[in-house]
Amino acid sequence: MTTSASAPAAAPSTTAVAARTKGLRKEYGSTVAVDRVDLELPEGAVLGMLGPNGSGKTTTIRMLLGLVRPTQGEIELLGTPLPDGAEQALPHVGALVEGPGFHPFLSGRENLVRCAAFEPLLPKKQIKQAVEDALERVGLAQAAHRRFRGYSLGMKQRLGLAAALLVPRKLVVLDEPTNGLDPAGTREIRKIIAELHEQGSTVLVSSHLLSEVEATCTHVAVLHRGTVVAQGELTELLQAGGSALHVITPDVETALSALRQAKISARPLGDGLRVELAGTSAPQVIETLVKAGAGVYEATRWKTGLEELFARLTEAEEAERGMSAVDTLDGGAR
Amino acid sequence: MITRQLGSEVRWMLRRPRTLIGLFGLVLVPIVISFGIWTADGDGGGPGIAAILRGNGMVVPIFTLFLSLNLLLPLVASIWAADGLAGEAQHGTLRGLLVAPVSRVRLLFVKLFGLTAMSLFAVTLMAVVGIIAGTAFLGNDGMMTLSGTTLTTAEGLLRIAFFVVLVTFQMVAVGAVALAVSATTEHPLVVQAATMTSIIVFQVLGQFSSLDWLHPFLITTGFPGLVDVMRDPIPFDQISDSTLLAGCYLLIGTGLAAIRLVTKDS
Ligand SMILES: Nc1ncnc2c1ncn2[C@@H]1O[C@H](COP(=O)(O)OP(=O)(O)O)[C@@H](O)[C@H]1O
Ligand SMILES: [Mg+2]
Repeated sequence: MTTSASAPAAAPSTTAVAARTKGLRKEYGSTVAVDRVDLELPEGAVLGMLGPNGSGKTTTIRMLLGLVRPTQGEIELLGTPLPDGAEQALPHVGALVEGPGFHPFLSGRENLVRCAAFEPLLPKKQIKQAVEDALERVGLAQAAHRRFRGYSLGMKQRLGLAAALLVPRKLVVLDEPTNGLDPAGTREIRKIIAELHEQGSTVLVSSHLLSEVEATCTHVAVLHRGTVVAQGELTELLQAGGSALHVITPDVETALSALRQAKISARPLGDGLRVELAGTSAPQVIETLVKAGAGVYEATRWKTGLEELFARLTEAEEAERGMSAVDTLDGGAR
Repeated sequence: MITRQLGSEVRWMLRRPRTLIGLFGLVLVPIVISFGIWTADGDGGGPGIAAILRGNGMVVPIFTLFLSLNLLLPLVASIWAADGLAGEAQHGTLRGLLVAPVSRVRLLFVKLFGLTAMSLFAVTLMAVVGIIAGTAFLGNDGMMTLSGTTLTTAEGLLRIAFFVVLVTFQMVAVGAVALAVSATTEHPLVVQAATMTSIIVFQVLGQFSSLDWLHPFLITTGFPGLVDVMRDPIPFDQISDSTLLAGCYLLIGTGLAAIRLVTKDS
């Protein structure tokens, strides 16, 4: 799990990282795809890179894998700087980048065998077994003899995942792995990510769906228009901004005074009130309200932190050039 | 590790439907030539090497390769070069190889090896089928040379083997330049079009005597001189000039491909 054998003696001042970027920037002609990206991927973490389409997830991942040269910035992968350390680090990295790439005229199995032939950590004798294991793991064993050409989108995605898992990896990078998968397929991918996490591998998974990241990740980095707008542990980010409860009640006055007595801060909002959950919990709030005789029709947790931020980002993206949306978004991001 | 990568590359090339169709087409050439000469009895062939084909089955492989070198073999080489880098980029498999990782220089070496191995295989196959078809249709009693002498079958086979090597080298040189193009694009067809256009334009330019200062630099200028293997004894000056020129193309092509590949975003 540690990247270097010499680690134990040195007392690390910072926690070990599997990958780190500093001031990463990539320009394609006049388009800036990624700018000022400082990512930190702690060892053993499952980092969800969250961002709407076109926010620079794939470009960042490509730079991290040495496929694309950054215009500016530094990358450290498994303890070595890129691009010089690529040959040392990459054998320990499995990747599925921007859709699976395979040859249409070969079967799934043949495609994997070809990938395996180029894996430095895989001894020749073990290729066959490794390929079968990988196929089994992603649930493709039955279809392995069929040509890749005839695979469904989900099967292609699974084969891409199988290629990333041919060898036990220290780091697995998955770019939107659930694209094109049905709910069952999505669950399987989650299961595989969880397994990798249990085994101590570090995982970087990108997604444009918050639910995806919430379900699988320990850490999150939110990308927007090529820059990281939020980063940290999932639980922290979800709490950030304080969580709140939206309570719908006809007895607003009664409710407010009851809560005030219980030293819970609240304010009227719409057809109910917004109750801050700092120093208290939802059951406690509702118990207080019920005891005071205020009827509770509905209580929902308020969108806070990550959720609110991401909702704004995606809404802004949908509203496209809606100026007001962009303004709120920029305000919220700081 | 490297042998396993080279093996995988050749196996992959052999599995491609396009390769198989191409090889099948190439094999038809000597058969059609033998059959054509056999049916067209009467006045003997055309000028030069075609004139000694009659009753001289061992010349068929030489004539076949000599004809094919002008268009067919460069086309096949360009297809392999196109699929090797541009095709892999198009299918997204280049990324997979690079993150495996295969260093970019190593990858180019693997591609060049695949191209060479397959070219040698294709040319040898054509020669072997040429010998068989030529012997079957036109008979075989030794090999008549352009100088009027007759070589024994064993000597003839040696000459054919030598010619196979020379032709393969020319084919690889064309392929190396095509690989350089292949490293710049994701569209295999662009590579084929660029290579074949160049070959044809070179041959046209070779026809203008006003451009004779240019001729020593055109790879196609070297093709006809190779047929000197059919003289007795073999005059080596044209053969070595052609081979040297092809060597320059090979070096330049490989160099450009390496430079492009190393800096390429994929
Ligand atoms: N090869 C390229 N050439 C030009 N622009 C690119 C290229 N790759 C990505 N971009 C641009 O960079 C931005 C980020 O793209 P990408 O990293 O693919 O986003 P994501 O993966 O988050 O959807 C987009 O605006 C995209 O148009
Ligand atoms: Mg993407």
